[in-house]
Amino acid sequence: MDLYPSDTEEAVRAASEAYLRDHIPLNAARLRPDGIWTDMAAMGWFGIALPEDIGGVAMSHGAEALVLAELGRYLAPIGTIAMAVAANVAIATGDQALAMDILAGTRRVALGLTEAGGQLRVLEVRGANMVLVTGDNGASLYDAPVDWTINDCLDPSTSQAIIALPPKARIQTTGSRAANHQRLVAAAFALGCAEAARDMAAGYARVREQFGRPIGSFQGVKHPCADMAVRCSAARAQLLYAALTLDSAREDAAFQIAVAKRLADAAAIGNGRASIQVHGGMGMTDECDAHLVLKRAHLLQFISPVSTAMLLAA
Amino acid sequence: MDIDYSTSEMHFREEVRAWLAVNTPKEPRPFDGTEGRAFDLAWQRRQYDGGWAGINWPTEYGGRGLSLIEQIIWFEEYARAGAPFIGVCFVGVNHGGPTLIARGSEDQKHYHLPRILKAETIWCQGFSEPGAGSDLAGIRTHARIDGDELVINGSKIWTSYADLADWQELLVRTDPNAERHKGLSWVICDMRTPGITVRPIRLMSGQIDLCEVFYDEVRVPVENIVGGIDQGWSVAMSTLGFERGTGFIAEQVSLAAHVEQLIGRARETTGTDGRALIASERLADDLATLRAEVTALKAMTYRTVSEVARTGTPGAEASIVRLYTSELSQRVARCEIGMMGQTMLDFSYGMKDPTHRYLYGFAQTIAGGSAQIQRNIIGERVLGLPK
Repeated sequence: MDLYPSDTEEAVRAASEAYLRDHIPLNAARLRPDGIWTDMAAMGWFGIALPEDIGGVAMSHGAEALVLAELGRYLAPIGTIAMAVAANVAIATGDQALAMDILAGTRRVALGLTEAGGQLRVLEVRGANMVLVTGDNGASLYDAPVDWTINDCLDPSTSQAIIALPPKARIQTTGSRAANHQRLVAAAFALGCAEAARDMAAGYARVREQFGRPIGSFQGVKHPCADMAVRCSAARAQLLYAALTLDSAREDAAFQIAVAKRLADAAAIGNGRASIQVHGGMGMTDECDAHLVLKRAHLLQFISPVSTAMLLAA
Repeated sequence: MDIDYSTSEMHFREEVRAWLAVNTPKEPRPFDGTEGRAFDLAWQRRQYDGGWAGINWPTEYGGRGLSLIEQIIWFEEYARAGAPFIGVCFVGVNHGGPTLIARGSEDQKHYHLPRILKAETIWCQGFSEPGAGSDLAGIRTHARIDGDELVINGSKIWTSYADLADWQELLVRTDPNAERHKGLSWVICDMRTPGITVRPIRLMSGQIDLCEVFYDEVRVPVENIVGGIDQGWSVAMSTLGFERGTGFIAEQVSLAAHVEQLIGRARETTGTDGRALIASERLADDLATLRAEVTALKAMTYRTVSEVARTGTPGAEASIVRLYTSELSQRVARCEIGMMGQTMLDFSYGMKDPTHRYLYGFAQTIAGGSAQIQRNIIGERVLGLPK
């Protein structure tokens, strides 16, 4: 038993982090360049746990969680979640060609939230030609409608549309594997989000001065920052543990992943709010990045949410 | 990264489980100090005879020399078997002994270590003072050197089991002119030395296992200093390092089991409205959150242990696990008394019930470095915030 990343895992994580820092900084989350999907595909981020012969990276879900948490930290496009899950769904149905297109970034998958009353809210719709809907009983990939109306979203890094559920899926899987995978990937994004808020707040508290001292020296600021670190630490340990239960197909994988999502969501929201408070008046402004993190946290809450019943089952 | 145990680790688990199944005391630990003392010593002795004492101590000092993963397995099985808290043997086995192993002289090790493991002696910790609890460097109890003896005057407080202990790990100021962290010494003090007075303190839970200790011209041989005169701060820090190790795992496993009991009870117990308690959305959500949190606590511990196994030190993250454990434990206790309703009022001193656990639980965010101190450590050492 060892929850410490191996040298290879750490190298892949570090390379991803370096790319993100240089090419998609958090403060540019509102305007991602068009070429980003090809670049992200080239980094292998849509198929970290998939075989090499179809364009995957052939690592574990543990490594996937480790890397996608970095993407989450830079508020990488939310559609990455759909891409990573859809590639697995395509493999599961034997549609290798589709999987390869997704991994190469030439086919773009938008993320459908759970449908209600025949209506489906879809995220990251700009430029997408397919829609993924994942539930606890299976996953479906639909061809995107040609005439969707693209709207803004609370999270300004993405776009959304409300569509009628298409009559027929292009491919479909049954069982809970895709749902567990999507929940894990979304949890990784949420952890990254929580860590971004923590680091942003701590960074500001180290340099911003009031009463002649950095505000981070005051316990009224230091302690909320420490609480941010505690929430991140619990969510990170649980995320990596949960990811590994998926790798070894353990019976408790669904529960462990649900716990990871619940804690990562709570950390992202809690830290998002605390970070704005630490930033003071600046934190309320549109030009400060603190709100981007909070808004992303709220969006992630609705992706594979965890019910009380799921945690209390068994 | 890997969460599976090796074949030899699984065999080890079976060995531990088999031994605990036969040897774990069936009767609960007595509440009373003297009876509790006898109970704790008997259990420690049984572990020694079975070859399970000092599981993290090197074998050359009579310990078991287990790896970190084996220690996790031991504590997991220990908690699963419902084995009792280490009680009066805690300071000797988890602080004093390991400190002597790291910093003691050959004579000190040779005399004390076997006695600790065989449950022949009880130790207590004399660190905190009325004016220096969280601020350990502020201690004032002082010792002057008179020939080959230290002469100690002052007082200590919050000393667990001082009324039952044979020996004390005692931190005293030996150089009053040095800086706060310097000029301290870590001394082995015989609790039967003339001039020592012990006053037990009753807590709001009714429990009496903390004491105040007064020193009036107490004479201790200079050879009882551990790690050199005026080196007490670094010796004390190595002592506290042991406290933050794997010893908390049993507590964490018990906490997880406790949450499962509460969930079971909430399903089985009917409230005044005739429905099961768990039908309350608020209680169900609280229990779901607690179950998620104790699950994460286990992952955090595995992660810390993995880090120690790779790098040799737990880093400041240990403070995070510590804080999370103590506050989570209090949340569990609060949830439990919430489920009790008015029956929580049926409490009197000497009872060991959920109300007692709730009241005693206030100590968890105060003792051994308060929650505020832990947050300062996290803010400064994990996040790099200024002092």
